[in-house]
Amino acid sequence: MHPLLHSTRRHFLGAGSLGLGAAAVSLLGGRASAADNPLSPKKPHFAPKAKRVIYLHMSGSPPHLDLFDYKPELVKWDGKDVPDSYLKGRRFAFTSGVPKLMGTPRKFQQHGKGGIWMSDAVPNFHKLADDITVIKSMKTDEFNHAPAELLLFTGSNRQGRPGMGTWVTYGLGSESENLPGFVVLISSGVQPSGGANCWGSGFLPSVFQGVQCRSKGDPVLYVSDPKGMDRDTRRKTLDALRDLNEMQAAELGHPETATRIQQYELAFRMQTAVPEVMDISKETKEVLDDYGAKPGEASFANNCLLARRLAEKGVRFVQLFDWGWDFHGTNPAEDIRDGLTKKCATMDKPIAALIRDLKRLGMFDDTLVVWSGEFGRTPFREGRTAGGTILGRDHYPDCYCVWLAGAGIKRGFSYGETEELGFAVSENKVHVHDLQATILHQLGIDHTKLTTRFQGRDYRLTDVHGNVVKDVLA
Amino acid sequence: MRFVLPLLLLPAVVRADVDFNRDVRPILSNNCFACHGPDEKERKGKLRLDTQEGALKALTPGKPDDSELIARVASADADMLMPPPKTGKKLTAKEIETLTAWVKQGGKYATHWSYVKPSRPAVPAGSPHPIDAFAQQRLAKDGLKPSPEADRYALVRRVALDLTGLPPTVAEVDEFVNDKSANAYEKMVDRMLAKPAFGEHWARLWLDLARYADSAGYADDPPRTIWPYRDYVIKALNANKPFDRFTVEQIAGDLLPDATDETRTATAFHRNTMTNSEGGTSDEEFRNAAVVDRVNTTLAVWMGTSMACAQCHTHKYDPITQKEYFAFFALLNNTEDADRNDETPVIVLDDTPEKKAKREEYQAAVAALQKVKLKDKEDADALKKLTDGLNKKAADLKPKATVPVMKELPKGKRRVTKLQFRGNFMDLGEVVTEGTPQAFHPLPAGEPNRLAMAKWLVSRDNPLTARVTVNRFWEQIFGTGLVRTTEEFGTQGELPSHPELLDWLAVEFMEKWDIKHILKLMVMSATYRQSSKVTPELQERDLDNRLYARGPRYRLSAETVRDQALAVSGLLSAKMYGPSVRPLRPSLGLSAAFGGGLDWQPSAGEDRHRRGLYTEWRRTSPYPSMVTFDAPSREACTLRRIRTNTPLQALVTLNDPVYVEAAQALARKTAGQGKTTAERVTFAFRSCLGRPPSDKEVSRLVTLFDESKATYSKDAKKAEALATDPVGPLPKGSDAVDLAAWTTVCNVLLNLDEMLMRR
Repeated sequence: MHPLLHSTRRHFLGAGSLGLGAAAVSLLGGRASAADNPLSPKKPHFAPKAKRVIYLHMSGSPPHLDLFDYKPELVKWDGKDVPDSYLKGRRFAFTSGVPKLMGTPRKFQQHGKGGIWMSDAVPNFHKLADDITVIKSMKTDEFNHAPAELLLFTGSNRQGRPGMGTWVTYGLGSESENLPGFVVLISSGVQPSGGANCWGSGFLPSVFQGVQCRSKGDPVLYVSDPKGMDRDTRRKTLDALRDLNEMQAAELGHPETATRIQQYELAFRMQTAVPEVMDISKETKEVLDDYGAKPGEASFANNCLLARRLAEKGVRFVQLFDWGWDFHGTNPAEDIRDGLTKKCATMDKPIAALIRDLKRLGMFDDTLVVWSGEFGRTPFREGRTAGGTILGRDHYPDCYCVWLAGAGIKRGFSYGETEELGFAVSENKVHVHDLQATILHQLGIDHTKLTTRFQGRDYRLTDVHGNVVKDVLA
Repeated sequence: MRFVLPLLLLPAVVRADVDFNRDVRPILSNNCFACHGPDEKERKGKLRLDTQEGALKALTPGKPDDSELIARVASADADMLMPPPKTGKKLTAKEIETLTAWVKQGGKYATHWSYVKPSRPAVPAGSPHPIDAFAQQRLAKDGLKPSPEADRYALVRRVALDLTGLPPTVAEVDEFVNDKSANAYEKMVDRMLAKPAFGEHWARLWLDLARYADSAGYADDPPRTIWPYRDYVIKALNANKPFDRFTVEQIAGDLLPDATDETRTATAFHRNTMTNSEGGTSDEEFRNAAVVDRVNTTLAVWMGTSMACAQCHTHKYDPITQKEYFAFFALLNNTEDADRNDETPVIVLDDTPEKKAKREEYQAAVAALQKVKLKDKEDADALKKLTDGLNKKAADLKPKATVPVMKELPKGKRRVTKLQFRGNFMDLGEVVTEGTPQAFHPLPAGEPNRLAMAKWLVSRDNPLTARVTVNRFWEQIFGTGLVRTTEEFGTQGELPSHPELLDWLAVEFMEKWDIKHILKLMVMSATYRQSSKVTPELQERDLDNRLYARGPRYRLSAETVRDQALAVSGLLSAKMYGPSVRPLRPSLGLSAAFGGGLDWQPSAGEDRHRRGLYTEWRRTSPYPSMVTFDAPSREACTLRRIRTNTPLQALVTLNDPVYVEAAQALARKTAGQGKTTAERVTFAFRSCLGRPPSDKEVSRLVTLFDESKATYSKDAKKAEALATDPVGPLPKGSDAVDLAAWTTVCNVLLNLDEMLMRR
């Protein structure tokens, strides 16, 4: 290389590897200087318990009363009118008039040393009883899917704010050099109701947003070279591109040119790293069988296995969405008896395998696993389907269940209670903002301090709310 | 994390002349107003520090030592210290010094700068162009000098991209470069301003603000026909419709005495709010959400004011009470639309009035014939034949489109607006009548309605609209606004880097509200025409180029990146207007929640290669390669796009079939040119960048061509794939190996840093 070029290159690569436009760099204010790559790892506020998060979201919201929150009194009152006091001044999505109470038709038992109640719909979760904390006292403010998912993942019930994984990537950067720091995997063929907002950048730079990976076609959009171009030729084109860009940098002196050169090199490495990590055919038959994963499919089981592979490679936030949990009872697949059994079979087995696998690899202690829906389901039969033979429940925001496992979370623990018919939380209420605060806390982030200024206001994931649920921490 | 002004804009030491707005208000606003500000409910210790009157309780003018305010912020006692330590806020020693110096000088308050009507400042001497005069005066303060003018090749590409969003053709470049006349530059600027592409390019900015999209939003995100609004914006900009008229038409075009289909179409600005058709949702809840969006968008777009806070509680920083929020809400709360799936009310649009008249004539005839009762079978048959024929004729004259519009509810059906506690539409308080915040100028006389509000926005007394708008134009031209926070001009926004220049431009703009005039002023300035070359020293002193000691250089927008690749390869369709189109896009195999598939069948023919702004914008699944280049989802008003530089962008321009096709098309044009490889390289290079390449650049690209050719001559199959997929079969007489090798060269050219940036 010409000495001038060499020194210019050194100068810029050393002094000004801008990863963002100047505006975005200033946006980061005190945290990132111009010399920082916005994705380079940043120090958390305090020592974290979790190095990474695998978030398993059941889009549509599973019937928690048929999975975790056992209400024998409700079974006793099954078929009776819902008392007036529970309905006064309330609106429900698909139910009007006086609906009938519905006790669970499922068999419940306590499991593990913590005596966690679980139904027969999730037999594979029974074996996880000593690994997880079930929170039975969750509460949200929304009872329609899109606003509830937005509230859960962005802290606001309306579009336009960054997603949870985006906040985490903004706060902590990425550990992986060749892979995105925040990956999204979707199964059952449908986007979540909150749409791409759930992993979008909102008013943060888009460099922090989630990258959707796919099991078919290019695992990341445009990661494959054009047809007819092999890796050698791609390398040759990038060499030429680098040389030409360096001439430009030498002439005009803009540091962003040096950054662009680096980004093209990173892209080249991603082209190998992404297909490699997304190729589950390299796993042993034993592992594939344990998850129930099949190479080439776009299943939740495959995504659980991919989550583990991505986490292993340093991806900090892996977000799974699985569609088909909206148990209204409008068709047999949404029946809380047979329909729920079948749907759960596609879900609890791979999740149990994921936890086992994380343990096997020594990653369970520093991986936070979250299982959730966006709200709960009513203790009564859904209005539209109440006359039929299929049993379904309507949307319900006042109580529902999630579970947490791994990094710094109590093992074999059940937290919070609802009153006897399951209409309200009776102790240890956990609001969605509290869950967000707790997830950030496990990553070493003080949720009140992870902020960004937009339109003159400091915004954060938890809005102006949220308390860390210390009781579930080990 | 907080915004930090570039260091050189901050006073290095506490200035002798402390300026309340520049030095003091930001300290008070950031640290004190949340508890001692306009919001009465949150106010602690009955002390308010956002007004002079309130502050006098805590300060004695001229005597910092007798001032509680100073004692408390400097206190060593944690119980006395302000702000309280638990807030995590703490004043720096310099901030305390500033406050002390301010109290010493009398502790005087001043109205926030942007709430004071701008008046035209005197232009400093020294330069014939006002922008240059102000900019150079500021540079001189820092001992900096402007850069020399950029070369003509750089200039013509810069102006073309900034004004039309398209690169100049080689012929346009040569025309300007070879023009010896004294006003060659101005003539070139005028040519660009006159192109239809001007309106297409500048519409993009406005469509971000209008949150324009071709779908209704929320979970299932069904398609919505509202493109006539997009076409309205393009036409308005091309016709250089004065900005005040442009404003009034969009806010209240239906209420104008001379309302037409055009002005009614303009009101679709506020019909771009989302409609929730998810089952089980309350239409009133989401109608209310749409009105909230209209309030917030109106104030943010025209006045750089974020009203959103005041929806739930009185604003903590700016003088806007919750009641005033709902008074403004009331102005927008009486339109007919109500979160309905069919988007009513809509208007039917025709290509020509004749077509409409003709169709209505047929329809009227059919209606009349249907009333005729005939007993005779022969007559009845003839009648049926006639009505069928007329019906078919009417159907053949189908309207161009429909568009959702704003339509005021008639008397007797008007909604009563009530204050909503914590912004909850079911928790209602007192009745609120239409009005605007007290802190601003009053509504014009007459009925307080949307039309009055529209006129209020563009009143000469409005201190913000002109400033906010010229600042937005400046941001587009120079990369960063004079007020960097284009979205926030309130007390929490940043101060302008050149306050006099901003006011001068704002006043100039209000003379005729002439958009093209203001843009021309900007690009005619020597400040704009400077070379963008930067030295390490300048880099160090002014990283963000806030002082304009060099020309602007920044990455092109998502749409321009696409349009440019299509333009230079000859693929770009010049077709304007009409329904949105579907360019090539990979299948995602996903559906929207409760809605249809997100994948699409690409449009046929030239519709694949239209400008980016015609691409169908589905909110839950916006066109992926544009999103990668920071295009928003348009679910809410986007006040400022952030520019990033990521590896995913590299993957788009290297591998997205749209860009591969562009490289292949350019390769086909290139292969037939000139006699030598070097001449062909020069042709392709100039097609992309306008300027001739240097010898070094030519030789590097020739090397690449030779290497590629050697590779592909060993593999005919690969060569054919790279030369044809997806652009199409080999042209007769062409050589696949040759075209494949040129495709690699053109792929590199389309990815040059210089392509993605304006230089």
